[in-house]
Amino acid sequence: MLRITGGTVYDPANGINGEVRDLNVEDGKFVSSVTSGRTIDATGLVIFPGGVDVHTHVAGGSINFARAMTPEDHRRTQAFIRSQTRRSGLGGMAPTTFATGYLYAGMGFTTVNEAAVPVLSARHTHEEMADIPILDKSCLVLMANNEIMLDLLEAGEYERAKHIVAWHIWAAKAYGVKAVNPGGVAAWKWGKDANHLSDPIEGYKNTTPGSIVTSLAKIVDELGIPHPIHLHCNNLGVPGNISTTLETMKHLEGHRAHLAHLQYHAYGGDDWHTMRSEAAQLAEYFNAHPNMTTDAGAVLFGDTVTITADGPWQHLLYKLTGRKWGNLDVENETGCGIVPYSYRPSNLVNAVQWATGLELLLLIDDPWRVFLSTDHPNGACFWRYPEIVQLLMCADFRKECMAGLAPEVMNRITLPEINREYTLYEIATIMSAGPARALGLGQKGNLGVGKDADIVIYHQDKDIARMFGHPRYVIKRGEIVIEEGDIRETPDGNEYLVKPSFDPGTDEFLRPLFEDRYCMSFENYPVEIERIERPEFQQCITSE
Amino acid sequence: MVLVDIRETKSVKAADIFLQVRPGKDFELITILRAMIKDQPISETQIAETGLTMEQLQDFVSRMKAARFGVMFFGMGLSMTRGKHMNSAALLTLAAEMNAFTKFVAMPMRGHGNVTGADVIMRSQTGYPFGISFNRGYPRYNPGEFSTVDVLVRGDTDCAFIIGADPGATMPQPAIDHLARIPTIVLDPHVTHTSRLSRVHITTAPAGISAPGTAYRMDEIPLPLHPALESPYPSDEEVVRRINETLMKKPDWMGERPQILQTQI
Ligand SMILES: [Zn+2]
Repeated sequence: MLRITGGTVYDPANGINGEVRDLNVEDGKFVSSVTSGRTIDATGLVIFPGGVDVHTHVAGGSINFARAMTPEDHRRTQAFIRSQTRRSGLGGMAPTTFATGYLYAGMGFTTVNEAAVPVLSARHTHEEMADIPILDKSCLVLMANNEIMLDLLEAGEYERAKHIVAWHIWAAKAYGVKAVNPGGVAAWKWGKDANHLSDPIEGYKNTTPGSIVTSLAKIVDELGIPHPIHLHCNNLGVPGNISTTLETMKHLEGHRAHLAHLQYHAYGGDDWHTMRSEAAQLAEYFNAHPNMTTDAGAVLFGDTVTITADGPWQHLLYKLTGRKWGNLDVENETGCGIVPYSYRPSNLVNAVQWATGLELLLLIDDPWRVFLSTDHPNGACFWRYPEIVQLLMCADFRKECMAGLAPEVMNRITLPEINREYTLYEIATIMSAGPARALGLGQKGNLGVGKDADIVIYHQDKDIARMFGHPRYVIKRGEIVIEEGDIRETPDGNEYLVKPSFDPGTDEFLRPLFEDRYCMSFENYPVEIERIERPEFQQCITSE
Repeated sequence: MVLVDIRETKSVKAADIFLQVRPGKDFELITILRAMIKDQPISETQIAETGLTMEQLQDFVSRMKAARFGVMFFGMGLSMTRGKHMNSAALLTLAAEMNAFTKFVAMPMRGHGNVTGADVIMRSQTGYPFGISFNRGYPRYNPGEFSTVDVLVRGDTDCAFIIGADPGATMPQPAIDHLARIPTIVLDPHVTHTSRLSRVHITTAPAGISAPGTAYRMDEIPLPLHPALESPYPSDEEVVRRINETLMKKPDWMGERPQILQTQI
């Protein structure tokens, strides 16, 4: 049992904005009172619900490929030393599994959503997730380029496609559906991409990226998956892609949707020389359409490694940078590309990207619909989130940073005209309450009675980056895991799963197709539930 | 299928074209191919050094460019001969550059057993695939210094724990001598060469036959192992877990150390 008294509480899920409240914890959950146990005097301290990352890449084949490609970075980064009860690890651009848990918890995050898992390698993703201590986790299965599903959509067999999607969510032991560059990754197997929403994709007559987007969004809604379709739009990172993004949003009307890393999809201009931010135009449309949520995919200057299932984009990035390039094709399902990258303030394109991410966070007016993310490790590493919080809360600091940009950037961005400063209440929303709600995790990002007791306690500090980078306490399900920068406990986290219902005949439908196309046996394809070390089931939303 | 090797192997039967490269000239051949795909000038004498002809290579390049999806498989013949990792790096670059023309990938052919699985798990937990030292309490990587063979040849270890390998059959004599000198523990379903020079051999159930688990395919796709038979012996995993549990009961031997090093030493 634990009592936390006198703290200034920010709990957006319950409308509590900076009020002094006591919190009581028993058996990992909030209760209305406790009779004994430790008391933390939080007088003068700031209390948030534990952070929730709606979009990150911390486990699985692609981040593990990135680890293989960056030994020079492991060498220069911080090292976690083992003890008798705690495993060792390395931080940096692609932290190792154990270090990932320490680093996220170290800045007050207690739940993360791994955004891209192919079924074929899901077994391995779950191994890595089980190795990440402290955090509760969920993951999304990649569907938008699955050839069996695309063939069904092409043939107009929507109902069957729906069962196939449900079957794959369960086969991967995933929590929802991710769509990456719909049609484009499938086309990349032939060295092509899908650039126009209404053009049929390579190898198909009727199926277009637009039709895939609409069908998948509808399928995810009808299956009642707690988290809506999680969409990485076509034409990521390309100048002028604003038109594709707006077009995609129109295809989503009438459905719930989460648009991933919107920063990478908010550019105007015709080429790299004329590229500019269109965050203002995008935010205006977004503000008027409450069916959508998004995460920023913000960029910070510095070194990182980019990994995405968007194979064609990574090939382009490799050609632009001339740096290392890794590419993985995952049979009929998806692929991924990996390129180390440095964002520089002196580089016009990078400066536009940096501003665009912040503009989206500042111009989307509802903090319940835009969340803190860097699309780790693509825009920056997750452990740099406190720097973004500082940029959002201090307009002066933003101005200081903008002074370091190339002057020709200024007429390509709107950031200099934005004076908004986030409040602590809004930060708690975009960092915890909002993403928890978008994920359909009602027990997270919420300090109410009966919810999971994931708590961060900060010192009040004028230096915002320091305040958010070094919490006084981090508490996971009632257990103190971080105290003044020291790792105290490393409990195992749970993994969220859903089991949408599907036609029991789906196995027999898939088997011959599978045996025809894949090179592993059908029985070995789904991840066995016994392999999930600590599953926690979430209910599907029953349709009204 | 085009086969490139220094001698006619059994694979020649399966190949449409066999290119016999002169031993130790892999790097030169790959570099010439990299130039030729970009239409850069190459002299006959440069090509002659590789043991091949201009016609052969021109035909090879046009076949590569005409492919819709090309795969380059490579193995220890490339990565463990003269040039070593430089050869692999050159081949990977060639594969990357071929993507300017058509889809191309390169993939290493891995050795026997679950070597890919070990590589994958070591990478996720430590950041590195092999050649790792934990003697400072965190993973450090230096192939050539921390690789098993180097550690043994130098005689740096005072104990060895061998699992899923038989170094007694494959390693150089000084390494084998050192294994015989120190307490060596072997976990294996069979009595191996290493077992014979070890202090302790623990017979374990063979994975995939009578122990469950996961094996990783060469392309890092994990496959579940379903045991078909019962075994009186414990699995490798169970033995390691029980050793670990016993070690955990020992008092903390590591002493006071910081939790985090901001800069590695
Ligand atoms: Zn992502």
